Amino acid sequence: MVQYAALRLPSALLVLVLASVVIFGILRLTPGNPAVVLAGPDANPATITSIEHDLGLDQPLPVQYLRWVQGLVTGNLGHSYVLGAPIATLIARGAGNTLELTVGAMILALLLGLTLGILGATTRNRLAQFLLMVVNTVTFAVPTFISGVVLVLVFAVTIHLLPPGGQLSLLKDPSLGIQFLILPALCLALPVSAVVARFLQTSMRQVLQEDYIRAAVAKGLKRHLILLRHALPNALPPVITVLGIQVGQLLGGAVIVEAIFAWPGLGQLILHAVLSRDYLLVQDLLMLGVLVFIVLRTAAEILQAGLDPRIRLMG
Amino acid sequence: MAQAGAVDIVRVPDRLAFTRNRYLRALQTPRGLLGLGLVGTIVLLGILAPLLTPYSPTFQIRLQELLPPSGTHPLGTDELGRDLLSRVLNGIRVDLIVAVVAVPAAAILGCLAGLLGAAGPGWWDTTIQRAFDVILAFPAIILGIAVAAILSPGERAIVVTILLANVPIFGRLSRDALISQREREYVVAARLIGVSPVRVLFRHIFPNVVDPLIVQLALSMSLAVFLEGGMSFVGIGIQVPQPSLGNLLNEGLPYLATNVNYAVGPMLTLTALVVGLNLIADALNAGVLRR
Amino acid sequence: MAIEDLMQQRVSRRWVVKAGAAGTLFLLTGCTSAANSGAGTSSGPKKGGTLHMAQVPDIIPSGLFGQNFPNTAVGRLVYNTLTEYDHKTLKPNPSLATSWQLAGDGTSLTLELRKDVKFHSGRPFGPGDVIFSIQNIQDPKRASQLRSTAAVITDASGSGSTVKLRLSHAASNLFDLFEIMFIVDKDTLPDMLSGKNLNGTGPFVWKQWNPGDSVALTKNPSYWKPGRPYLDGVELRIIPQAQSLLSSLQAQQTELALGLAPKDYVGLKNNPAFTTQVADTGDAAYYVGCNVKVPPFDRKEVRQAVAYGVDKERILKEVFSGVGNATSIPWPKSSPAYTDTAATHYSYNPNKAKQILQSAGLTNVQAQLAFNSGSPPLSPMAQIVQFNLQQIGITTQTVSYDAAQFIQKLQAGTLPGLWVNVHGFSQLHPATLIVSAFPFNAAKNASNLNDPVYVDLANQAFRASESSAKAVYQKVTDYLLDQQFVIDSVISPGTFVSVNKFKNFTYNMFDYLDFDEAYLA
Repeated sequence: MVQYAALRLPSALLVLVLASVVIFGILRLTPGNPAVVLAGPDANPATITSIEHDLGLDQPLPVQYLRWVQGLVTGNLGHSYVLGAPIATLIARGAGNTLELTVGAMILALLLGLTLGILGATTRNRLAQFLLMVVNTVTFAVPTFISGVVLVLVFAVTIHLLPPGGQLSLLKDPSLGIQFLILPALCLALPVSAVVARFLQTSMRQVLQEDYIRAAVAKGLKRHLILLRHALPNALPPVITVLGIQVGQLLGGAVIVEAIFAWPGLGQLILHAVLSRDYLLVQDLLMLGVLVFIVLRTAAEILQAGLDPRIRLMG
Repeated sequence: MAQAGAVDIVRVPDRLAFTRNRYLRALQTPRGLLGLGLVGTIVLLGILAPLLTPYSPTFQIRLQELLPPSGTHPLGTDELGRDLLSRVLNGIRVDLIVAVVAVPAAAILGCLAGLLGAAGPGWWDTTIQRAFDVILAFPAIILGIAVAAILSPGERAIVVTILLANVPIFGRLSRDALISQREREYVVAARLIGVSPVRVLFRHIFPNVVDPLIVQLALSMSLAVFLEGGMSFVGIGIQVPQPSLGNLLNEGLPYLATNVNYAVGPMLTLTALVVGLNLIADALNAGVLRR
Repeated sequence: MAIEDLMQQRVSRRWVVKAGAAGTLFLLTGCTSAANSGAGTSSGPKKGGTLHMAQVPDIIPSGLFGQNFPNTAVGRLVYNTLTEYDHKTLKPNPSLATSWQLAGDGTSLTLELRKDVKFHSGRPFGPGDVIFSIQNIQDPKRASQLRSTAAVITDASGSGSTVKLRLSHAASNLFDLFEIMFIVDKDTLPDMLSGKNLNGTGPFVWKQWNPGDSVALTKNPSYWKPGRPYLDGVELRIIPQAQSLLSSLQAQQTELALGLAPKDYVGLKNNPAFTTQVADTGDAAYYVGCNVKVPPFDRKEVRQAVAYGVDKERILKEVFSGVGNATSIPWPKSSPAYTDTAATHYSYNPNKAKQILQSAGLTNVQAQLAFNSGSPPLSPMAQIVQFNLQQIGITTQTVSYDAAQFIQKLQAGTLPGLWVNVHGFSQLHPATLIVSAFPFNAAKNASNLNDPVYVDLANQAFRASESSAKAVYQKVTDYLLDQQFVIDSVISPGTFVSVNKFKNFTYNMFDYLDFDEAYLA
């Protein structure tokens, strides 16, 4: 396994280096630069030149690149050009908020998905089955920017039950914070809950055909007991697997959900960073994404190799 | 086993003839029909837009802004006095063009890339797969943000994003299918009896990998509509005054409390389009792939 | 209807109730005062309380040396300036400078400073800080729009509590500089630029900035104005979405909303639970710019035709919900250069525009119309301008650039034929506009207008004495009206919406909020 890991690492490093070059290069290709944004609309060209100098943007590109990589390697992410704040702080805050949102969404998705999935697997009422299918199709297909608008329209604009957007830390004020969290988390959770429900329904139906369930029924156990104690735990594994895959989807969905609900997470951070040409911040964010992806992937590969000796033999 | 391969070769022609029927049969389910109906209606509305409303989507009627729905303006007017029905119908056209141009282009490019990977040397295949990995690591909307920053927001950025997000999907799908088919007996047999590689590819392998690609095509169309909507919604997609379903929804957002009719049109249209495409993909998936 | 109202009240209270006893209490008092239709109960200023204000964009600490909307919320709360204008007369009043003496034809200035002032760090304030602040603003990196005025100061020396400045020539807008120039602490400047710690002499002490979220300020107990400020603290929340900002105001979680969309502002204007006001500084002027290097806009009469063809009243009504006024000149009503005749010079007249184009022999003109998508009103404004121009026979294609790209093109003078944008700096001395604001800068401007006559006029305005000013300003106005390389259309100033109990806040001529006298009743 160690040998395999040693084989895998250079290729992972190569991908990282390539990704860093691509990310750096692409950003420098974009028209507009952060000095212009910083200088403001009324500034004159001399101001921009001197800000560029201050930020080191007048250095040759290879020098800028090496400086950036040096910072990354030594764990110094630098300061945001436009906001002035340390990037590590910005990313930590954004990640915390996005985590709060995605965890909230995950919990809601599980609650909704499990309920609907169990209902779908057990109900024999044709109309109920049909309705559940409609709900499932719609929640799966409808983009978050539509469900988000509907949620705002219903819960914030029409019945004034929940705020239409904004965020308050759950740690700071749990009871108010949760009210800000509900709508965006629900919006993000809907498509995932549809997937969970679908998988659970299929897997539950299979489990319900198993002999031990029939035995339990024959023993005269209560229906809900059979479902929750016996069938559900055995039907869950495929659902868990698919949920793992959906986490990536959640992060993508978060970009739009954060925009609708003014949620100050990573999605908002990257959107604003790109629009204000905050190079360093964008570079760091994208590299972080690639890094997380590569680490997870390489770890998975190495683990697999540990479990399956055949893979070890192949490059 | 060699015999079984021979049987496969013989089966190919009637399998092709039979293909059309299979798709039709898959779509003749309640799900498929509903999906076709929804998508068909929206497409028709988009195509017939100029016949359905007398107003141009960009004509501003002076001091007639934010009118509620009425006989003359069934969906009301927007904040600059433009007919909203006309804007929604013309917005559909933008979405259709984006989906119809970009998705098949992505499918073709993706298949070519997959083919190159499967046919080329090992390191080449690995490189392409790694590139796909990196692209797929980012949610499509983040790709969209980056693309819009480079190309500046607009239709071009959306098309490029759709290509970027879909090429790896099609590429991987076709490559995996090709590799799994490559070693199958009928292909080996065909090669052995001296059929040219190109002929093997198009007459023998391709018909067998086309099913997942067709299903993916329907899914990717829905992804394309989603991307147009999402990018325009956060302001990096289709730019005003040209209407698109996404930017109409975005523009209607500030008026949710006062003029809800503004957002309702694009919302219903987008929902119908996306749900319809998903239903079609579902029906094809159930009817063609699982059997 | 009544039931619905009750429902709303009950439900919205449920949402607010957790905001703490103060919030709930206020909701009730808010309702009572609504019933009394705002009958004032003047019990005088009250000490204590934290003000919660909110705006859409986050602050940019490094931009505190110029005028940038997101920073106007905090600058004057932490810092002081040398002098402060009276909004009506534009006469400077003492602040950190108690008196001043101009001599030698306006080329030498002696300022007497307050002696009892301390920075938040405890260090006493003195002439060295004024000199450093001037040098700092002369640094182009600080991006101050008043840099060219600061550059006139060639020598500064101090002793005791006196600062002597020598100027290369008299500058009519010198006190515009003193209005905007915060007196900052030399030693902590890097901390200021990164937003870590802002060390000033102002009424509030910088506590913390959480980027993208909030800024917290606490009372400066040893502020040099005795007994001030009344407030214990100020919290600025960043709510990056107009709808959420509005609803947090309606739920009274926000007590002062800055820069609301005009539509939302107008919606609250008649709501007795809120006090609304439009800034009297009149400093945001929305205009159509022309690149005079791009035909046919190299011809003056074509630019004039465009000026007649743009329906400014409609832009005011539909884009700015009537907040502000339609105009043909950059100057707001408070400016010494303002005249009614000039302001209405180009009122909407599409027929005249068509005639001009016809007699110029132009039919079927094609052009590009760029706009900055970073500023919300510019997109609808560009669309109206596009439609207006189509009516007079100029077909335009709109091109949107995000703020970064747009400003870069503006700076380089490479924007296509026409563009729509906003400029500031017309609210004070006209020289500030034509020396500082890039669209008007005589030496180099976004329109590529290069005219010795204009350069000469700019110089005259810059050096104008009080007696000669009026005549020079009229000449400048006439020149701008004739050339129309910047077609001013609507001046729509910033707005403030506050809950009724928040009283007595004000702002300087650059819209920086001033809470010296503000209190929560």
